[in-house]
Amino acid sequence: MSALLAITRKELTSYFVSPLAYVFLSAFLFLSGVFFLLGLTMTGEASLRVMLSNLAVTLVFVIPLLTMQLFAGEKRTGTLEMLLTAPVPLHALVIGKWLAAVILCTLMLAGTVVFPLVLSIYGNPDWGVLFTSYLGLICVVSGFSAAGLFASTLTEDSVAAGMIGIVLLLPFWLFGSFAALTKSTWLRQTLEHAALLPHLKSFSRGILDTADLAYFAIFTVSFLFLTWRAMESRRWR
Amino acid sequence: MIETQELTKRYGALLAVDRVSFSVNTGEVLGFLGPNGAGKTTTMRMLTGYLPATAGVAKVAGFDVFDQPMEVKRRVGYLPERPPLYDELTVGRYLRFVAELRDVPRKERLVRIGDAMEAVGLRGWERRIISSLSKGYRQRVGLAQAILHQPSVLILDEPTSGLDPAQTVEIRALIRALAGERTIVFSTHILSEVEATCDSAVVISKGRVLAKGSLNEVRSRGQTGERCRVHVAMSAQSAKATDLLREIGAIDGVAEVTSQTDLSEGFVIDIRSTTDVRPDVANRCHTAEIPLMSLERVHPSLEESFLELVGQDLGLQRGSAGPR
Repeated sequence: MSALLAITRKELTSYFVSPLAYVFLSAFLFLSGVFFLLGLTMTGEASLRVMLSNLAVTLVFVIPLLTMQLFAGEKRTGTLEMLLTAPVPLHALVIGKWLAAVILCTLMLAGTVVFPLVLSIYGNPDWGVLFTSYLGLICVVSGFSAAGLFASTLTEDSVAAGMIGIVLLLPFWLFGSFAALTKSTWLRQTLEHAALLPHLKSFSRGILDTADLAYFAIFTVSFLFLTWRAMESRRWR
Repeated sequence: MIETQELTKRYGALLAVDRVSFSVNTGEVLGFLGPNGAGKTTTMRMLTGYLPATAGVAKVAGFDVFDQPMEVKRRVGYLPERPPLYDELTVGRYLRFVAELRDVPRKERLVRIGDAMEAVGLRGWERRIISSLSKGYRQRVGLAQAILHQPSVLILDEPTSGLDPAQTVEIRALIRALAGERTIVFSTHILSEVEATCDSAVVISKGRVLAKGSLNEVRSRGQTGERCRVHVAMSAQSAKATDLLREIGAIDGVAEVTSQTDLSEGFVIDIRSTTDVRPDVANRCHTAEIPLMSLERVHPSLEESFLELVGQDLGLQRGSAGPR
């Protein structure tokens, strides 16, 4: 456990001593501001529905870029050799890195809390709905971070890892549109269940649906397992 | 302390390490010698548990590297060929991470980090960012990382490669100072380094062990036949000298006679032979009334043995291609 947290702390330090974290934080907050404004002018409601659903899509691109160097960088610089010859179980390494990405993204989301505060000055937002909406986004962050981490194990090249991550996540965003195109019922249903956005709907209505929570839990655990397997497979090569 | 039996690593069709067996006693410093690409790094990676072996056994401190990797990893300090550093961190933050990773008890962390930095000559460098360090200092941070948890076994992969001569001397002195009760294995392709720091050596080439044992044993392995050197006080141009060279060449067992004439007093003859021919040479000089200044048996240097061994193995002409 101490090794796991040591890895998380080290990754967070690495994020914050490099310009990367700040660039992403600023870009993310800027985009949030734009979506917030758009949402307000489009709907005229004291809600963050538009902003939050747009942010979920933004995360498809942001998270793979934040996680891309987590394993690829270690492979490229040779530090992986130190990590793998230290008495640290592989799962601690994987979960430690994943946790660092989740914490960073949660901090990023925390920065957007100014918008509900602005809303509360001029209107009367539903705090319960806001709470579940943010919870939904954190679920997205958790799943996407796991997927981005998995992409990072596949290559030594960080940029390639980032691209792989985006390509891996894009379908989950697009499955819903594909579903509309197909005539086969079972395929349509499968695609609808696999698609990401439908699972965010209940969150954005203030409902916590166990089916949706399970979707994100399975999403996260599957990709963490794949990450672990990808690292473990080195042993058999 | 370290023992390998028939350790083998195969990458597809390529046999990188071929049935390597050797052992290192507690407190011993072993030099792992070989030309580039001989399989040194691969062997070390198998010893540290970074790479799985295709076949064979490796044991460190009595624990099997493949069956009980955690026990082995706790006891081994490892400096890979490229020091495993995070450029963006400061030296202090990096070593703190390693201490946490290595599960050094919280109370002892600061002391251990201080001790390790002291040992490698990094005192006062905590706040430097690693990317700003020179190669020699990066190597020191790498070494500090390897000794932080006070391992009983140190495995160092080419710890002096790429350093300038002064840094090389410092790192070597450091390795000697770290020896004591620790068992150290380090790889190199620089022979003087082994002579300066090691108790014993293993020579490998193309993944196979060519020689192993104490330095003297390794030296004698490379030697083929006897060699001696004669110094006579007379001009090399004289007829007597030509006669002497011819006579020595005619002695039973002499394979090769070379002379160096660019000396102020007399000249030197190098003889390679299958048996010890010193009495015969002395006799010839005596009968020809040539003043014999010295007559000595020549022991090959480790370097010559190495070139001989590796040269034979790679099918090269002796001395024509030294992996320096």
